[in-house]
Amino acid sequence: MKISVVGTGYVGLVAGTCFADTGNEVTCVDIDEKKVNSLKKGNIPIYEPGLSDMVRRNVKGERLLFSTDIKSAVEESQIIFIAVGTPPDEDGSADLKHVLAVARSIGTHMNGFKVVVNKSTVPVGTAEKVEAEIKKHTDHKFAVVSNPEFLKEGAAIDDFLRPDRVVIGVDNEEAADIMRSLYRPFVLSGKPILLMDRRSAELTKYAANSLLATKISFINDIANLCDILGADVEMVRKGIGTDSRIGSSFIYPGTGYGGSCFPKDVQALIRTANDHDYSLEIIRAVEEVNKRQKTVLVDKILDYFDGNIEGKTFAMWGLAFKPKTDDMREAPAIDMINSLTAKGAKLRAHDPEALSEAHRIFGDRVGSELELLDKRYDALEGADALIVMTEWNAFREPDFYLIKESLKTKVIFDGRNLYDPGRLKKLDIDYFSIGRPNGNGHVKPRF
Amino acid sequence: MHICVIGTGYVGLVTGTCFSEFGNDVICVDIDEGKIADLNKGKIPIFEPGLDLLVAKNVKEGRLTFSTDLKNAVERSLVIFVAVGTPPNEDGSADLQHVEAVARQVAESMNGYKVIVNKSTVPVGTGNRVREIVEESRKDNHSFAVVSNPEFLREGSAVEDFMRPNRVVIGAESSESVAIMKELYSPLYLIETPIVITNLESAELIKYAANAFLATKISFINEVANFCDEIGANVHHVAKGMGLDKRIGSKFLHPGPGFGGSCFPKDTRALAGAGRERGFEFSIIDAVVRVNDRQRQTMIAKIRTTIGSLRGKTIGVLGLSFKPNTDDMREAPSVDIIKALLQDGATINAFDPVAAENARQIMPDINYCKDTYETADGADALVFITEWNQFRSLDLERIKSLMKQPVIVDLRNIYDPAKMADCGFKYASVGRPVSATVR
Repeated sequence: MKISVVGTGYVGLVAGTCFADTGNEVTCVDIDEKKVNSLKKGNIPIYEPGLSDMVRRNVKGERLLFSTDIKSAVEESQIIFIAVGTPPDEDGSADLKHVLAVARSIGTHMNGFKVVVNKSTVPVGTAEKVEAEIKKHTDHKFAVVSNPEFLKEGAAIDDFLRPDRVVIGVDNEEAADIMRSLYRPFVLSGKPILLMDRRSAELTKYAANSLLATKISFINDIANLCDILGADVEMVRKGIGTDSRIGSSFIYPGTGYGGSCFPKDVQALIRTANDHDYSLEIIRAVEEVNKRQKTVLVDKILDYFDGNIEGKTFAMWGLAFKPKTDDMREAPAIDMINSLTAKGAKLRAHDPEALSEAHRIFGDRVGSELELLDKRYDALEGADALIVMTEWNAFREPDFYLIKESLKTKVIFDGRNLYDPGRLKKLDIDYFSIGRPNGNGHVKPRF
Repeated sequence: MHICVIGTGYVGLVTGTCFSEFGNDVICVDIDEGKIADLNKGKIPIFEPGLDLLVAKNVKEGRLTFSTDLKNAVERSLVIFVAVGTPPNEDGSADLQHVEAVARQVAESMNGYKVIVNKSTVPVGTGNRVREIVEESRKDNHSFAVVSNPEFLREGSAVEDFMRPNRVVIGAESSESVAIMKELYSPLYLIETPIVITNLESAELIKYAANAFLATKISFINEVANFCDEIGANVHHVAKGMGLDKRIGSKFLHPGPGFGGSCFPKDTRALAGAGRERGFEFSIIDAVVRVNDRQRQTMIAKIRTTIGSLRGKTIGVLGLSFKPNTDDMREAPSVDIIKALLQDGATINAFDPVAAENARQIMPDINYCKDTYETADGADALVFITEWNQFRSLDLERIKSLMKQPVIVDLRNIYDPAKMADCGFKYASVGRPVSATVR
């Protein structure tokens, strides 16, 4: 099939490349000429395992093209995916101006029946808006479909090729058939394609992300309660995760969720509901808890140093909002850095992938308040304490003797519960984590 | 092993019976002489599928006895399960007077090393409290261990849940008591049941956290359903799309009139209360409780909108228990809903396959019917409140012909809206458009 994907961000690039990989002819369109030129040269602007190889393979096989020419892309394609950004407005609602601008171009250049697919995460009701916008500019027949993406950064290729399910919101039989055959190669293992009305499809994306965010905020609340009660959240997590109705995924306590999806989608859902005079109480609580969670580890650090960290230097491991990505959008590390520097501390931070992103975000502050280091142990030099913010595999089994030797104060603040408190106690390193009895090691049954 | 179980309520009876089925010698103890006399005659005071047969079998084989003599039971047992009630106080916290009284009596009856196991759902810290009480009151300084071993039984499938649990949680403080508990649960090793061994506080919290999370899923999907009603989306599609995500899972994503029963309402309030006592605001659970209270009002409003004025109308109510396969009426949504309908001036004809007797005690002012069709007879509207299996394939034509007006409010989404419309019913459900069809 001939497909074009408008928008070469994270979602557009992964979707376009994976469709090309199953034999479709795909044109990825972007208005950013520089970006398109660099994609043509094989430079992938995002870090996603496996993506660049797959792009190269499909470019070479002439199934994947990059272009700035939306007109010919629309004319030559049967299916057009809209995968442009929907940045949050100041009030948390998704800004649809890019989506509607693409709809306008599609309508203007349409030369026959087209299936227009919303791949961007858009609020309920957007399919109708896109339809209305296209209709203003064309008399050709078309169908607007909602087909939300469920990609995890760091595992996006696998998620696209082997989805848990494909959700298609459609109110037109012809378009439904086309979408079904497009996705058939990805669900040969029997995973379902769910056909539904467009509003339900749009809501599914937000509801799924909001429930995952709910799991995270729930366990963070439990972790904080564990701190108060002297219970161990790691055991509580095991105890509840073995219940098949709960499951063990997404109940890892930490310093709050971040990234480009959860914070944005949670806010957008709250906002959409407000627009319909409905207040989603649980999701509002989830967001509030997440804000609070970003300060939990800061409070532990301040407590440890009696409220005074002026002139202290902290080594920080991890900047990305999660491992296997360079994404720092809404990363808890940013809040941590801001909180500590506001109190007069300096940081020496290391991340395996996110350093250039950090350079971009912190700008002039790099070199004064914040040093960015290529090697994890370099970050420890002259530092008073170590803070762990992202659970990269490389941080899981470090040389604790080297850490202890390097730090002025022998203390680790771990926002991801990577280490065994009992082991650190034996090493005589003070250790604070999330929801586990602090400092004095693991509370184990007194055997 | 010789064990006793103190308290012959729902949890105590299932626990004692199942342990005797594993081959242990079990004495179930209660202070209520009438109850023990009944049990000795083979009368089971609760409805739980399979339990009566299992009790009869183990009584006959001599492994299960019932008694009011706590002292004798403690003397003869190595492991003593405390499974007495912890009713909520007015502020939502659990009332521990029964647990504490039992701890004292056990202490006074000790004649050697005992493992005292809390099976009741008790607030974090209760294990420590029990230890203090036993230390104060025990005879001859006999040694003992306190264990927390929360139950995860679902009413309606409690026997199955006990025999094939997702996991066993043991909170303990000594290796000796852990070994004894593991021995007691060793029949489950064959089916590779995970055993989570931790400290007392964590084990106590696990029970509350698990129930609170399940309640969160219910309130979450109820909010999504209400929002679907606002925007014309279909909550079943949304729930299916969400539930197929392995990290979410499809369980507990069924919209309805809100959770009830003896666990979720009590445990969510208790968990929020435990935090609040210590200055911690458990925001999500507070929201879950609020949404659940609101859900009943939303359902009442839905009934009013669908039926119109209720004054002088006859409403048939199908299903009263808080969920199917139980006669438990505690905090059942039906109670709040029926109360509101009565206040509006409606006459209520109700049917429940099992819970009618219990319902009669709480709601003496409504008519109890012998079956579904009698309930439909002459009704201005039918309201489904509990999704008993027998309501799933009713003869709709017959129902329609019996009713004064063909109006159905289905609070459990048992039927397909499009099909109901085809049958000529005015039909409302939760979070689905009137025209929705099940694909």
